[in-house]
Amino acid sequence: MNHRIIYGFLAVSAMNSAMAENINPIAKGQAMAWQCAPCHGTNGQEFEESMPPIAAMPAEQFTKAMLDFRQGDRPATIMDRVAKGFTDEEIKAMASWFELQPKKQWVDTSLEEAQLSLDATRGQK
Amino acid sequence: MSQLEHKTFEQKINRRDLIKLFGASVVAASGIFGASEKAFAKNAPNVVVLGGGVGGSSFAKYLRFANPDVKITLIEKHPEYITCFRSNDVIVGMHTLDELTFNHQVLQSKYKVNVLIDEVTGADFSKKTVKTAKGETLAYDKLVVSPGIDFKFADTEGFDAEVAAGKFPHAYKAGAKTLELRKQLINLPKGGTAIIAPPENPYRCPPGPYERASLFADYLKVHNPTAKLLVLDPKDRFTKDGPFKKAWERLYGFKTDNAMIEWVSGSEGGKVNRLDTKNMTVETDSGNHKADLINLIPNQRAGKLAQNLGLTNNSGWCPVDRNSMESLLHKEVYVLGDSTIADAMPKSGYSANSQAKVCAQAVSDTLQGNQLGKAVYANVCFSLAGENYGVSISAIYEVRDGLIQPKGGSAGVSPITDKAGLPILEATYQKNWQRNFVKDVFS
Repeated sequence: MNHRIIYGFLAVSAMNSAMAENINPIAKGQAMAWQCAPCHGTNGQEFEESMPPIAAMPAEQFTKAMLDFRQGDRPATIMDRVAKGFTDEEIKAMASWFELQPKKQWVDTSLEEAQLSLDATRGQK
Repeated sequence: MSQLEHKTFEQKINRRDLIKLFGASVVAASGIFGASEKAFAKNAPNVVVLGGGVGGSSFAKYLRFANPDVKITLIEKHPEYITCFRSNDVIVGMHTLDELTFNHQVLQSKYKVNVLIDEVTGADFSKKTVKTAKGETLAYDKLVVSPGIDFKFADTEGFDAEVAAGKFPHAYKAGAKTLELRKQLINLPKGGTAIIAPPENPYRCPPGPYERASLFADYLKVHNPTAKLLVLDPKDRFTKDGPFKKAWERLYGFKTDNAMIEWVSGSEGGKVNRLDTKNMTVETDSGNHKADLINLIPNQRAGKLAQNLGLTNNSGWCPVDRNSMESLLHKEVYVLGDSTIADAMPKSGYSANSQAKVCAQAVSDTLQGNQLGKAVYANVCFSLAGENYGVSISAIYEVRDGLIQPKGGSAGVSPITDKAGLPILEATYQKNWQRNFVKDVFS
């Protein structure tokens, strides 16, 4: 329990220092969101497997799902564990990023299309 | 999950069950993107990637995401890559090797990566060049090395590369030897004994030997039910040992008189000291064991290329900066995947992919003079304890006190419950994960 509090505290301080260092929170969202790809597809764009796609998911829906997983309010196999790795701010940053990704299979998405949505996310400071 | 509540732990789940649960799953058509010539600026930075496995391929793709203008060259010895993950399935006939074989065509066509089938023979870190077996000299601004693992056969007397290439395949790199081990399992005499000997920590895919043991038992239960499997371990604990052992109890009579799997821990004398190939016997701290099939998985160290380039320290592994994966021994050189010292992160394909993304962002930021962000890594491993019984381990990681450590309360393994549906779901996710993951790496 103590550890959890300490981790939580450190995570918050990390986020504050990221802001202090003027790192774009959306860029940080992208870096974290990339880590979801092995299960949810590149940029969350996998719509044909049992793990749900995250691309184009409304930010509110993403945020609620993650918070519910984290609190143990939503049935899960591993997402309850995964969600405990992220602070509220980090979840929001990922939510904003995923919302802007194209709603189609990654294999059918050109690099240019992906780039356009990334440019859009970069613009959000 | 409710539709699965009536299932028992041993019950087979068929495709129709899955479709009922998840809807028809369609194999994605692979996108064919015509190779297009992108002209890079003459002064565009050169990033050279050594190794076209999970780390190297993921890195090349994600560096292209991070930076449209950099020149990326990937050098790989083999035109095709066979994933080690899911190769245990091939041993018991659940997958074919073809299904685990990938190439770098999409890296070339979609991500404008120059792929060279060649072998790097040396590097000059002061001149920032690498030399290849085909006589090329390539200049780099950033060099990224993802060389996999090498084996320390000498740790076990009587074992060497030649023995492993013959009748004693470790099958811990996927390929022809995976099929040789499959043949041996199929040909195991009725009521015969098989031995699996896992390595010391650290090694690639920590659950790999135990998943292999599980799938051997799964296979033998049907095809050779009086056979025995002995796991001779130098260690007292292994990853996911709680959920694995519970599954063995449920599926294979573990700890009963009729147990199909027996596990001998390090304290109980499980460490194999010598292999006697003539007498098909291994010598352990607790005595000799004769068997019909002996699968020794050797202790490991960083891949040969990392050793040859001087990227390893006394531990045999590569020390790296935890926020960028840059080598602590050579500037402008980065190391990814199994070869690295990544603290709490296991040596897994997921980890290599995760590190590749952090590194791609770090390399791109460095080239553009941006400040580096704080690294966040992830790992998820699904293993099969039976064909339809999955167990998982997962964590999100951050850098704390200079080490990669679990972030928040994210680290954990599958809970042990009496809900039979949970391991079935994890087995399903495992299969989905494999299909998703290779797409994130190679397409």
